[in-house]
Amino acid sequence: MIRISKTLGTLLLALAGSAALAAPGLALKDENMLAQPSATAATIGKMTKGATVDIVAKQGGWLQIKSGKSQGWVRLLSVRAGSGGAGGAGLADVAGAVTQKSDPSRVVAVAGVRGLNEEDLKGAKYNAEEMARLDRYTVNAAQAKAFAEKSGLKIQNVASLPKPASESGTGSPWGDY
Amino acid sequence: MKKQALLIALALGVFSTASSGGFDFGKVLEAMGQPPQKKSEPTPTAQPAQPTSGQPAQASAPQINLLGKVSQEDEIRIGKQVSGDLLGAAPLVKDDTLQQYVNTVGRWVALQSKRPDLPWKFGVIESEDINAFAAPGGFIFLTKGLYRRLNNEAELAGVLAHEIAHVTKKHHLDVLRKSALISMVSQSVSKEVKGEAAVQNLIGNGAEMMARGLDKEAEHEADRIGVVLAARAGYDPWGLPAVLQDMATLNAKDSRLGLLYKTHPTAADRLSRLGESVGDRFDILTAGKEFSDRFYRIR
Repeated sequence: MIRISKTLGTLLLALAGSAALAAPGLALKDENMLAQPSATAATIGKMTKGATVDIVAKQGGWLQIKSGKSQGWVRLLSVRAGSGGAGGAGLADVAGAVTQKSDPSRVVAVAGVRGLNEEDLKGAKYNAEEMARLDRYTVNAAQAKAFAEKSGLKIQNVASLPKPASESGTGSPWGDY
Repeated sequence: MKKQALLIALALGVFSTASSGGFDFGKVLEAMGQPPQKKSEPTPTAQPAQPTSGQPAQASAPQINLLGKVSQEDEIRIGKQVSGDLLGAAPLVKDDTLQQYVNTVGRWVALQSKRPDLPWKFGVIESEDINAFAAPGGFIFLTKGLYRRLNNEAELAGVLAHEIAHVTKKHHLDVLRKSALISMVSQSVSKEVKGEAAVQNLIGNGAEMMARGLDKEAEHEADRIGVVLAARAGYDPWGLPAVLQDMATLNAKDSRLGLLYKTHPTAADRLSRLGESVGDRFDILTAGKEFSDRFYRIR
């Protein structure tokens, strides 16, 4: 299951957008560090939730990290890249900051600083010309299938993912669409 | 069409306490009352541009039952109104190759969803913000700012798949529905505001739906469905997680992320939750395509 076919060029994420070999990251959970990017590889260390790690490489769904004195592979989704801002504050802190900013109704977004903010969206007028342009780019199913076939994109049978055990609540009332 | 259905009115209470609150029920309702000739959608073929203003005609008695099942036709109308407003705020990037490419990849991914036959439309819009949007009926947009950060086609597919999931799960209609329920409660409490005009006075713009956060769980669900759709389409399933990782490296106060973080859980939260669901389930997959080389880059 080792995806050796991945090229070296794709090993490094665009993490931190730099060419630096090691990008900082934060461990999102306790996890064994493995000798190879494969679930069957030997355990060679332990990553602890909340630990700061260095991300050395990426391969498929795996990241090679340095944590303390150990270096090994952990799952891509077990580490959050970045050292500051969105990530650096850690889960609780970031969630808190976002919540505090919210309107009490929790539904109304606060206006952004610049760019495509809520004010822009609120003031926007329907643009029929652009909608017509959008229509012209429409790709139909046959064209999409031809594109996939030409490029070797093969449909894979992949089961739906379950909700995490930690998640409660009901799904969409609109049924399984 | 369920024209006889009750008119859901008055976004009162929670939504009207702030003047900026509230979905554009007015526009949505107007859309419901479009002239009959406009009902020929959802044909994916080109349609004549709307009259100069582009605004759907004022409805005499627009009605839609948001509490029941919304017809696909109505759903597309809502999405069209919202999308037209969004494009009013940020037009499409003037790059035919780019738009065609995104539509092709997007349509292929959408074909793996449970609603392959919607008239899916995809667009890259002129904004340096880092964000993506979905509107009911199959309208998907991403900003130029986000597109520029993508490294390969699998990442594009992952982002589009997340938005496609919002459409197939009708997440935005969900929010509309909740608004409708609240307004019904409000109505029973306060009888003084009635009628369509009152509704229209209370609401903002259709594109505001885009500025509105969905339920956090809806975002997590879209992440779960997104990676699966991308994988089913033959792409590397790690495209969306890679984009989330990239966003995590940016400063949360980066103004380009302003709206995104107001409407989405943090990247760390999303990665963590997605990780819980994925676990070792993708270990058995054969490697998907990334297509770094042919990925279209904006000049």
